[in-house]
Amino acid sequence: MIEILDLHKSFGALEVLRGINVKLEHGKVLVIIGPSGSGKTTLLRCFNLLEVPDRGSIELGGMKLSFTDSKTISQHNVVSFRKKTGMVFQSYNLFPHMTVLGNVMEGQITVQKRSKEDARKRALVLLEKVGLVDKAASYPHQLSGGQQQRVAIARAMAVEPEVLLFDEPTSALDPELVGEVLKVIKQLATEGMTMVIVTHEMKFAADVADTMILMEYGHILEEGTPDDVLKHPKSKRAQQFLNRLSGEED
Amino acid sequence: MDERKIQILMDSLLPLLKAGVAFTIPLSLISFAIGLILAVLTAIVRISSWRIPKLIFRFYVWVIRGTPLLVQLFIIFYGLPAIGITLEPLTAAIIGFSLSVGAYSSEIVRAAIVSIPKGQWEASFSVGMTRSQALRRVILPQATRVSVPPLANTFIGLVKDTSLAASITYMEMFRTSQQIVATTYEPLLLFCEVGVIYLLFCSILSALQNYLERRLARYSAG
Repeated sequence: MIEILDLHKSFGALEVLRGINVKLEHGKVLVIIGPSGSGKTTLLRCFNLLEVPDRGSIELGGMKLSFTDSKTISQHNVVSFRKKTGMVFQSYNLFPHMTVLGNVMEGQITVQKRSKEDARKRALVLLEKVGLVDKAASYPHQLSGGQQQRVAIARAMAVEPEVLLFDEPTSALDPELVGEVLKVIKQLATEGMTMVIVTHEMKFAADVADTMILMEYGHILEEGTPDDVLKHPKSKRAQQFLNRLSGEED
Repeated sequence: MDERKIQILMDSLLPLLKAGVAFTIPLSLISFAIGLILAVLTAIVRISSWRIPKLIFRFYVWVIRGTPLLVQLFIIFYGLPAIGITLEPLTAAIIGFSLSVGAYSSEIVRAAIVSIPKGQWEASFSVGMTRSQALRRVILPQATRVSVPPLANTFIGLVKDTSLAASITYMEMFRTSQQIVATTYEPLLLFCEVGVIYLLFCSILSALQNYLERRLARYSAG
């Protein structure tokens, strides 16, 4: 289970998160939507401490970290907390000097201290899952964006995280490549992978989400099932945002 | 050209090449190796958040870059005995050149590390790596590739700079040529000859640099 309580984060004078509360059961999918600048990516990056919150607390897989202005979290705690998470980035961020197989093995060998043989086996299983076993020996630059992102998913899965974090995983992709990546994420959802996804793909979001959050100006504006949030939003601002979105889609 | 001059050229070629292979090249290689280690260390400290070590290494780079190499060599070889530290010419030369390479190359390595996109650090962290694991496994291997051309430049510069060791009595290639001049009275001939041999060494190194760059470029489309 993941529980976030009263999370605050500022960049200088700009308050990006203003008291966020999130609860997510194991095996569920949380989708975060909202206009750009709403703080959704920052919130996601707080899940694995790429951004360290100013105040509040995060609990994940039996480890709870509390943040205060006065005390910094030790590097050791940051790293052991991160090991419970995996992340997929908008711009893939594969390691360009390693092969596809190397990318998926790296975390297992360096972080989890698995033997090369075990790491290779697991990497191949995961590459099979994302449909890229035949690309194992290729380097990232030889792949399409969609393929790179699928490798990135396999890399994130390889370290057996309790939760997978997706930061706009299809935003950098050509439209015809979006589908193959969403398909992989959907399949993970049906297999019971706990995931937090920031996305602009509304149809996909409605499809895959158990819970949905709509953020604006660092607040949670709407929260509930996709149906609650997308079809029956309570606040006016949420309605405006959703109208603007559906306007774009027409 | 008369026969005597040709004879002098031929006779001096072997001793010069010998001095080059036995002294100039080893001195260059050892100094470069130590200098590189020093450079990586300096670069890592300077991108870290350790305040005091940062200050110390900044001071080091500032002093070495701001004073002539020849002056540094003189201080190490002729100056230090005044406070009881007497060094062999070779030792003094290695210390001087290593410090110099370390200071200049640290800026190259630092720039290369900084040039690696932030996303590479974040991706490393996201699979659970510590800062030093990320540096070792992800950042430095990529930074190496970026820094090969400028580091090769530094190395070629170093090979030529080792001729300064002649002034602290180290019998490398240039000092060997000076000695031959002392007995033959043919400065133009000998100094041109030794210059050509330096040119030859550096050309080989340039070719090596090209090869290395091509090898390291294999994972990149660019």
